[in-house]
Formats: sequence, structure tokens, C-alpha cells
Amino acid sequence: MRSLACALVALLPVGLAAQHVAIGPQVAFGDYREVSSDLHYRGGGIGAKATLEWKKFSADIVLSKVKYKPTSDGTATTEFDASEVDVRLRYYITGPVSGELGFINRKVDPEFEAQSVGAVTAGAQMAYLLGPGVRMALHGGLMFGAKYSGGGTTSGLGALQLGLGLTVDALHSRVRVTGDYGFQRFSRKTDDGSGALPAPIQKSLGRVGFAIAF
Amino acid sequence: MNARVVLLAVMALGGVATLRAQTIQNPTLRRAQQAFDNLDYRQALSAGQAALRERLTGFERARAYELLGFTYSGMDSILKAVDAFKQVVLLEPERTLDPNRTSPKALSAFQVALTQVLVVRQLVVDSVAFVGGQGVVPIRYTVTQPARVVTRVVGGSTSLRIDSTVATGQVNIRWPARLPNGDPIPPGNYTVVVDATVGQNSSSTSQPIRVSHGTVDTVAHLTSLPGYTYLPETEVPPKSWRPMGLALVYTGIALAGTSALSNRDLGSASLREGGTIGAGIVLAGFIMTLKKPAPQPARGNILYNQLLREQITRRNAEIAQENTRRRQQVALTVAPVPRSGGSR
Repeated sequence: MRSLACALVALLPVGLAAQHVAIGPQVAFGDYREVSSDLHYRGGGIGAKATLEWKKFSADIVLSKVKYKPTSDGTATTEFDASEVDVRLRYYITGPVSGELGFINRKVDPEFEAQSVGAVTAGAQMAYLLGPGVRMALHGGLMFGAKYSGGGTTSGLGALQLGLGLTVDALHSRVRVTGDYGFQRFSRKTDDGSGALPAPIQKSLGRVGFAIAF
Repeated sequence: MNARVVLLAVMALGGVATLRAQTIQNPTLRRAQQAFDNLDYRQALSAGQAALRERLTGFERARAYELLGFTYSGMDSILKAVDAFKQVVLLEPERTLDPNRTSPKALSAFQVALTQVLVVRQLVVDSVAFVGGQGVVPIRYTVTQPARVVTRVVGGSTSLRIDSTVATGQVNIRWPARLPNGDPIPPGNYTVVVDATVGQNSSSTSQPIRVSHGTVDTVAHLTSLPGYTYLPETEVPPKSWRPMGLALVYTGIALAGTSALSNRDLGSASLREGGTIGAGIVLAGFIMTLKKPAPQPARGNILYNQLLREQITRRNAEIAQENTRRRQQVALTVAPVPRSGGSR
């Protein structure tokens, strides 16, 4: 997390030289479920999002840290912090469609209260200009090669993600109001020797914030 | 009476200044004129002939012969009248009689006299201005008998033969005002000389002219084509529910996708996060639907303006070429200068 933050700061001057750069803080709120409906958490936290655009390429780098607390309808008793990095590189293809490639990495503290996970993501994004300075985007894709701190595997089509985003330019495009929604589902299976057992992970994360555009 | 008429014609031709300088001073001739005015033809005849034996100016001599011509005409001596008028024409080839104020007999005798002498008269060079090589100077004259007529332009070291022809009556010449090598004639004062020759007889007349050079006007560059104006390159599209519709579609896909992709073992999916963001998107779509749409590029107008700009650029390039050519040209102005003398 810290190293990525450092990398983001180091890359910022490069990004400033690009055509469009926007960076800013976000407020995050999420829902996390694991294994069964009994392990249900909700929480809030902070985040940051940086967007770089250069010719047909663009990239989103999202950092978030959310403190998840057990909900009253579950049996979980211990809260945990989830720190997540979500990097997506995008290439414009045609019309509203762009291709995406990236990775996610989520670390949990305390380590064994929930699953830390890392995966490579691939998908597509459809973006549409609602009006002057108002853009929305819908993206979805698969997550490959997911690794879990507690072990387990996921089939090729077992890890999916879906997202929705809104960007509103303000103050002559110097400031952008951002809103993002991301949904992840891992159809994880574990095997302790008695056979494969489903241990799915599902997370919904909403983020609202603003960004300064350069 | 007829002499008065002729005098009036002379006044009209020569002008008041000329008349003041050329009044009859000889007393014998004045007596002859007075006798003619009193219709005393015999006295006019004897006094006129007596005056011719005295020392007279050219003007007075011409007046004396003219008086004799009118007198002989009045006395029905046509042949003698013709002889007298021939002397008038030889002395003053430009002399004309007003047909409205001259007796038919005298007029007829004068016309016969004109055909019996070789005279080049009524040389006129029209005032004209044109671009060198693209116009002509009109010249015309009258030659009273069939003769070889040579027209020249003389001035300084320049002597150009511009026409040579056998002609009678009125002759029209179109002179391009160019040197033999094609260059415009240099600026300066010139004289158009017309020489007519037949046998031993010859006649000549001339007309001074002034040739001046000027610059040819250039054409102004265009900033627009007359009748064509630029069109706006953007146009505001009509209001549409498309932003609202798409916001609903995108939000619906996201929420439905969340619901569909969620694992049943984990309970019902949480739509709180997606609903919050989706509500924001729907709200934005609704606002954008109500808002005046942003101007969109008008492709047809852009192409039209591009075509218009290309036309103006092309026309200005042509104008630049035309101006370059015009700057190398000379505007010639040829104007006749009042002549100081007559023909011989």
C-alpha cells in the first residue's frame, strides 16, 4: 500500500506531462461477505483516485482503506481493515468501448479476519457523455489468477467484477466530482482434504469524492 | 451677310483669343468687307482684289480670298468662286463653312474647291487611357483627294511610321502606342504627322500629343466571397431524453448485474453502494436531459466553410498573380495638345 502510494507520487510528474491528469480523495463505503451470509461486514473509510489520460490510453489508480465492522445479522465479532489497490489500464477501441487490463490487491488487517486477495483483471468499459463535462462509465470483467491469504482456488470464470462510474466536471474542468461503484465476486473453493468446499467472497464498494484536474 | 456668318464660324473655331489676335487690320480689306456687307459686290470684288495685291497676313489673305469666293458666288461666277475657295483651303486647310449659315452656291463652290486641291485636314487624336498592349489610340483625318498617305509619330529620337495607305475621304487609324519591339511608347511629347502625296502635290498636317505613364491599379484581396457568408460550425441539437435513458440503462445493468452475479450462499446482494452511485448517475442524466444540449459540430457547415475558405484562398492566389502581372504593366495616357500651327 505504502509502496504503491510512493509509486503514485513518483509517477505524478510524469502524469502531469500527459494530456490529462486528475487526482483526488474519496470517501468509501462498502459491504463485504465471505463464506456464508453469517460473515457479513459493512464499513466506511477513505480512498484516493488518480486518472491519467494520454491519447488512446488511460489509467485509473484507486487506493482505498475501509474499516469493516460486523453487521448485526451475522455471527462475526471482529472488525478488520481492508486496504485495496485497484489499477486499471485502458485502451480506447471504438465508439464507447475501451479494453481494460489491470490488477487488484487487497490486504486485510488483522490478517486472518478476512481474506487478502490479489488478481489480474481484464475486461471492457463502456463510457458515455451524458452532457457537457458529465461522463458515466460501465465496466466489467474477469479476475484471473486470484491468490488468497487463506488458500483456495477460483475457476477461470469464477472471479468477476462489475463497476459503474460518474465524473462531473466543475470549475471549468479544474475540479471533477467523482462517484464509483465496484462489485467483486470470487467463487473461491477450498480443499482441506475432505473435498472442495465453497468459500465465496463478495464485496461491494462505493466511493464518492472529487479530484483536481491538471 | 455671308461673310459675317463665316466670321462667326471662324470665331467658333478659333475662339475669342484667336480672334483678337487675328482681326483684319488692312483698310482695303476692311473696305471690301464693308462693301460685301452692303451687297455692293462690284466694290467688294475690286477692293478684295486690290487688298490681295497689298501686304497681308496669312489670316487676312485667307479672308480676302474667302470674301472673293462669297462675292463670286453671289455673282454666280462659280468657277472663279471655286478658284478663290481653293486658295482659302490651301491657306487654311481646316477652314469649314457652316452649312446652315452659308448660301448653297458658296457651299457648293467650297465643296468643289475641296475636291480640287490635295489637303489633309481635320486630324483628330482622341484622348485615351489604357494598359499598355491592351488598347489603341484612335486617330482620324480627312484627305481631300486620293493620295498616298503616311502617318508618323515623331518625338525626340523616336520616329514611328504607324500607317501608310492610299486613301481619300475620312481615314481611321488605330494605333497601339507601342514601339517595334513591343514595349509601350516612352512618356513624352510627340507629334502625329500625316503626309499625303499624289504626283507633285503634297499636303501635311500634324497634331501634338502627350504620352504619360502611370501604374496599373491592382486588385484588392478578398476576405469573403460576395453573396456567400460563413455558417456556424456548431449547432445545438434538440433536447433529448437520451441522457436520462442511458443513465437508467447503465444503472440498471450495474444493479441487475450485481444482483445476478452475487452468490446465493452469501445472502441477498447489497445494492446500497450501487444504488447510491446509480442514483447519482440517474440524477445527472435527468439534469442533462433538462439542460440545454451542448453545441455539436455541424459537419455540413464545417465542410461548407472549408470549401469557402479554399475558394477565397484560391481566388486570392489568382489575384496575387494578377497583381504581380499588373505591377509589371504600364497605364498609358495619350492626350492631344492644342496645336500651334496648321497644315501646309
